[in-house]
Amino acid sequence: MTTDQPIEKFSYDNTIVKWFAYATMLWAIVGMLAGLYVALELVFPQMNLGMSMTSFGRLRPLHTNAVIFAFVGNGIFMGVYYSLQRLCKTRMFSDKLSKIHFWGWQLIIVAAAISLPLGYTTGKEYAELEWPIDIMIALVWVTFGINMFGTIIKRRERHLYVAIWFYIATFVTVAMLHIVNSIEIPVTFMKSYSWYAGVQDALVQWWYGHNAVAFFLTTPYLGLMYYFVPKAANRPVYSYRLSIIHFWALIFLYIWAGPHHLLYTALPDWAQSLGVVFSVMLIAPSWGGMINGLLTLRGVWDKVRESAVLKFMVVAVTAYGMATFEGPMLSLKNVNAIAHYTDWIIAHVHVGALGWNGFLTFGILYWLIPRLFRTELYSQKLANVHFWLGTLGIIFYVVPMYWAGFTQSLMWKEFNPDGTLANKFLDTVTHLAPMYALRSVGGTLYLIGALVMVYNIIKTVKQGNFLANEEAEAPALAKAYTIRGSEHWHRRIERRPVRLLLISLIVVAIGGIIEFIPTFLVKSNIPTIASVKPYTPLELEGRDIYVREGCYTCHSQMIRPFRSETVRYGEYSKAGEFVYDHPFQWGSKRTGPDLARIGGKYGDAWHYNHMYDPQSMSPGSIMPSYPWLFENKVDLTITPKKIKAMQTLGVPYPAGFENIAADSALKQGETIVAGLKKAKVQEVAALAPDDEIVALIAYLQRMGTDIKGNVKTASK
Amino acid sequence: MGYTSSQVEKETHCYHCGDKCSAHPVIAEGHAFCCDGCRLVYELLSENGLCTYYSLEKNPGIKQEEEKHDGIYSALDDPAIRQKLIQFENGNISRVIFRVPVMHCTSCIYLLENLHRIHSPVISSRVNFLRKEVTIDFDNAKTTLGEVARHLSAIGYPPSLNLLDSEKGKKKSWFDNRVIKIGVAGFCFGNIMMLSFPEYLSHGELNTTPQLRTFFALLSLLLSLPVLLYSASGFFVSAWKAIRSRTLNIDAPIALAIAVTFLRSVYEISFAHGSGYLDSMSGIVFFMLLGRFFQDRKHDDLVFDRDYRSYFPIAVDVIVNGKEKASPVTSLRKGDEIIIRGGELVPTDALLLSDTTLIDYSFVSGESEPVKVRKGEKIFAGARQAAGSARYTVEKETSQSYLTQLWNNDAFSREREKSSGAYIDRINKWFSSAVFLVAFSSALLWLFIQPTNALNVMTAVLIVVCPCTLLLASTFTNGNILRWLGKEKFYLKNPGVIERIAGADTIIFDKTGTITTSDNKAEYVGERLSEEEQIGFRSLAAQSGHPFSRKIAGYFANADRLPMKEVRETEGKGITGVLNGKTYLIGSALFAGKNGSLHDASESWIAVDGKVKGRFIFSHQQRPGLHDVIREMSGKKEIHLLSGDNDSQRKQLEKYFGERMHFNYSPEQKLNYIKRLRSSGKKVIMIGDGLNDAGALMEADAGIALSDNMNSYFPACDAILSGEKFRELPTLLSFTSVANKVVTASFIVSVLYNICGIYFAVTGQMSPLVAAILMPASSFSMILLTTIAVRIAAFRRINKSFRT
Amino acid sequence: MSAIFILIGASLTIATGFLVAFIRSSKAGQFDDSVTPAVRILFENETVQKKENKTRK
Repeated sequence: MTTDQPIEKFSYDNTIVKWFAYATMLWAIVGMLAGLYVALELVFPQMNLGMSMTSFGRLRPLHTNAVIFAFVGNGIFMGVYYSLQRLCKTRMFSDKLSKIHFWGWQLIIVAAAISLPLGYTTGKEYAELEWPIDIMIALVWVTFGINMFGTIIKRRERHLYVAIWFYIATFVTVAMLHIVNSIEIPVTFMKSYSWYAGVQDALVQWWYGHNAVAFFLTTPYLGLMYYFVPKAANRPVYSYRLSIIHFWALIFLYIWAGPHHLLYTALPDWAQSLGVVFSVMLIAPSWGGMINGLLTLRGVWDKVRESAVLKFMVVAVTAYGMATFEGPMLSLKNVNAIAHYTDWIIAHVHVGALGWNGFLTFGILYWLIPRLFRTELYSQKLANVHFWLGTLGIIFYVVPMYWAGFTQSLMWKEFNPDGTLANKFLDTVTHLAPMYALRSVGGTLYLIGALVMVYNIIKTVKQGNFLANEEAEAPALAKAYTIRGSEHWHRRIERRPVRLLLISLIVVAIGGIIEFIPTFLVKSNIPTIASVKPYTPLELEGRDIYVREGCYTCHSQMIRPFRSETVRYGEYSKAGEFVYDHPFQWGSKRTGPDLARIGGKYGDAWHYNHMYDPQSMSPGSIMPSYPWLFENKVDLTITPKKIKAMQTLGVPYPAGFENIAADSALKQGETIVAGLKKAKVQEVAALAPDDEIVALIAYLQRMGTDIKGNVKTASK
Repeated sequence: MGYTSSQVEKETHCYHCGDKCSAHPVIAEGHAFCCDGCRLVYELLSENGLCTYYSLEKNPGIKQEEEKHDGIYSALDDPAIRQKLIQFENGNISRVIFRVPVMHCTSCIYLLENLHRIHSPVISSRVNFLRKEVTIDFDNAKTTLGEVARHLSAIGYPPSLNLLDSEKGKKKSWFDNRVIKIGVAGFCFGNIMMLSFPEYLSHGELNTTPQLRTFFALLSLLLSLPVLLYSASGFFVSAWKAIRSRTLNIDAPIALAIAVTFLRSVYEISFAHGSGYLDSMSGIVFFMLLGRFFQDRKHDDLVFDRDYRSYFPIAVDVIVNGKEKASPVTSLRKGDEIIIRGGELVPTDALLLSDTTLIDYSFVSGESEPVKVRKGEKIFAGARQAAGSARYTVEKETSQSYLTQLWNNDAFSREREKSSGAYIDRINKWFSSAVFLVAFSSALLWLFIQPTNALNVMTAVLIVVCPCTLLLASTFTNGNILRWLGKEKFYLKNPGVIERIAGADTIIFDKTGTITTSDNKAEYVGERLSEEEQIGFRSLAAQSGHPFSRKIAGYFANADRLPMKEVRETEGKGITGVLNGKTYLIGSALFAGKNGSLHDASESWIAVDGKVKGRFIFSHQQRPGLHDVIREMSGKKEIHLLSGDNDSQRKQLEKYFGERMHFNYSPEQKLNYIKRLRSSGKKVIMIGDGLNDAGALMEADAGIALSDNMNSYFPACDAILSGEKFRELPTLLSFTSVANKVVTASFIVSVLYNICGIYFAVTGQMSPLVAAILMPASSFSMILLTTIAVRIAAFRRINKSFRT
Repeated sequence: MSAIFILIGASLTIATGFLVAFIRSSKAGQFDDSVTPAVRILFENETVQKKENKTRK
């Protein structure tokens, strides 16, 4: 640092912020459109258009991915790239990296938007993208990391504002989650099997799933809250001390809350309870954040009344409070017994997504764009219109869903005096139709609101003139002679031998554990139930179709140990039954009935007709029809590859089985075809043993049959 | 917005400092200012583009006092002083940390952190608002320390420069080592709990996967090490100290319990394939640390242990062969000739050189009225130059001065016996012995029933019934009480004070500044004055630095101030001046031609053209509510008055203090008076404000300093009460008695927990699960109980009485 | 339940990382001042040439 020029001049990169802002708005619309469309598909099944690409099972993952990773993702980057530069009083580490990050991320989204409708999916919720895209995500994420830490290192402000801590936590944790959960073994380009099986897979998946919510939808947004709410209100955060405590408490707790998504499943008891305990403990830090956010606005309620920005933020923070209170409640076993698999969960997540993420993003956009373009917002009035449309939208969405959730659950559990179930599953579906309709009204309102915003923003952009590089100046960070913290940390720790010892001990121990893992894995893949056998090649192919069509988005494969469920579906599910399921397909929602014991429940012919025209078999069903399964043929040439992959994962197919896999598939296919012919199904297309429908039927008929009869040995 | 004299109303406020402007405010760039000082600052800021200062907060500025003598700043460049203040230097970059007591808002931070735009050689300036400090790096090749300080005061943020501030030394922040210990403990606790739950929840299911079980156990063992060796180290250290000094403090049994718990767990994990009690251990450590931290939370901006150095300016002007040169107080030598200006303290014992001057001893001795001293008289250190400036010859070096001597009296240096938490220790004594008794007897019992189980039982007892709940109870109770008192602007130095105040049976008041307000206000007696005369007297009074003159000027605040002619000020007598033909006079009775009025020290006469109009009487007001305060306390406590002042007010005060009044007491006399009371077994609270009370405050069981301005000086003490809250004194004092009640209550509850704990332990069914349930249950209920109890008490006592 | 090993391993590694970060940063005095930073972020980073009318507030 030259003392002749102590004050350094530099400029903030607003262009990258602008790009991410635009991307945020674009994907917001896309994601919401997709959401609205799938919502409507549940009301008007014919909207599936009988085409693979537009069927619910394929579009729903598109919706979730678009909203989470495209809309919220870009929102995060927009906020981070704006605030980080200013909090560190420096330009981003590298404009090139910023660009790579931006285009890389958009590329990923596009890839997802194409691959998901085409049916390329891993079948793991919120992690559906196939392995090449997973790798791409990892790379882009690292780019982001380098850019962020680079910026932090060359900062001119010594203190790291609490928001930055949240950003760091986001980056590190999401990286870990993504990598651990995406360990999969590729079969072909765009087809892979999860490394873990059944229960294991479920545990990992929901550990990921929950923390994705925690560290992708929450921590970064808390960071944004701690920067943008004070800025918008032009007053410091209520208690900075609280915000620091809030952060560390959250970080040390969040990571363990995952398993509560699997209550009453075949997951071991203790693992479930663990999830419950930690989820409940989470209320404290979460509310710490909410209270801090709201109290920041105390004394400026008059401002809140006129400023749309603050209105959005208030509702967002409130929604965060509601969601983080409801979450732990939902993780209580008895509440969960009611809510799980129902639309209650859908309502819960949308309070978070529409309220917390959506509204905070809108608030930030309304605050940010005028600054970037050095002008006033085109129309406060329109912004307020948006606010009310959005709020109404949320209400119209959430209320019917809660209602649907309760009714559904009650109807499922309702018994006649004689001990028989009061309602067929189909009754519940038809009963919910009006709620679903209302929900899509709410969605429409919310979407219109978003469109109003886009118009408003475009107008604002038009009237303003963009400031690409915002001039700023600050004294360089005087590293050379700080009193404390100047020396390198490990030197400091070395001076405390005890702590050095302990930390290194822990690190070493963890290293060791990770080395042991493979052996443990193999061990654990030894079936615990003798009668459970690997899938036949044809069943395996059928299962892959089941995964491809996203059946898990509406059908669970997990019967919980409740009378209402065992009576309806049969013997409750055992961990041992899933040891060959790569990936697990337990699902998290029952728009349709559970399929864990579907095998043998109906004849092949029933399935054949049902898959072609569900309403013909079960009138009033809202399930789409799958005509393409009747033309497409299973590609048996890759079946051997699949078998080999399974073998590497420890599935005990006899050695060399892959060579005869294709033939055995055909053989099994022929018997099914014969059966269908005998049943005189009127053929949609000439029946062939390698029809996809045939493979699917083979899988459906296999499901849950392994332990039928020998329940005794099973329950252990 | 031009102001016409027609719309001269109260609501024209200074754009800079927000004060009421006089009839004709100073106008600049369309803004109104109360005085040129404020205008100058505004212009300085606006030409540096720093007007955000005014948009962040409304009228953020600090009113410019009358021309400050800034010789002191050049004194900063004296090598000796500079070396004291500069934190360190690196090439031509120097860093200094100034205390700036006046900073109060967002704007202040904004301005202070943009100092480099006003004074370019400043490289960076960072504020620590809680400590009211600004850390400044500057280029010492381009500017000097003095210059930096001068610029600070130029924008209205004069750094406080006294000997104490100049002493370096890192102040503690709220986020110190203990927080890290808590963090580590909390982290390990969370994870150990996570690893232990499987054991509790699996109903033996875990036995089916032994490798998982051992993995969990070992991991938690690993995680418990930092808790034991780092977080809990404090307990072991203090326990060891206690044992060496053959006393039993509460930490001893706690340390024992922790150790036992750990060893037992290690044993169970390594041999008995159990999971141990590590979660309980780390949990309780976490909670206890939390309690201690909560209890000891400091008020970052208050300093309790001031000594005489914080009253002395860092430098004074010494006359070296006819020229004034600022030099450090510490380097004053006998015979030096110094100049002291109005309002400054005389830093050492000295002889007056000027013919006569007014000296205000209230600070040192408690005398309320300035005294007139004549040439050659001896002035004691700590005396305040009441008016004008005067020259002295130094008698003694500061370190030898009367004040310093007074300070070095053993009473001041004496370290008071640590009575903090005494109550807890008392309870603890028999509690622990009870525990040991149970432990050993049950062990003995088992020796007969089943010897193998004896050790288990004994350790189990020690594990479940450690006095940690006791500690939690007291720490959280104290913490809450301190918080509530703090809300009422009654700040205690440490939790120990609570008990000392609660136990007191005698209360001693100082007079001047304690039961009377520290500043005396002017009331006018005489014929009413015309508009013109008011303007005249205001303008004249404004010319003088004399405290009385300033009060008179204040008295006519609404009148205009016009330039006077032929202003003549006679030291210690008065001032005259001419305004459009009329000669105005303010001064002593003699000066005004009125011969021989008695209390001439507390009066000022005013006259126009030799015709006496009337006089101002400056009397010390009794604090509002004094009557009720005394009444409410006299029942329960014995009340005394010790004043260094003359007994002119004996009459008014008799009805409060009766016989227990003593006047003309020197600091030592006060000190010894309290010594006697204490040796006669009384528990004494001393309430004072001035330096003259310092000794007494130290000697008393609890010394409470009354301060009307938290930034101003107050002597070393155990507690600080804001003057405005004087009325609530009785309530606040009695509130402290809540502490022991609450602690006792929660102690009973904890005993109940321990009994059921003992039941499990003695019957040999003590399982990790039981411990894991008892620990958080008891801890949380303790925290809840104390917090709620104190809250209720606070509402019942404090709030109720305050609403009325 | 061997997946547990992976999860705990990974989580604990990260958590430990955060713990170290926590200790380090608090040692470095990151959390010393718990008021001013919150205020500081409110200031727009203006350049000297700017005059009051240009500063966005």
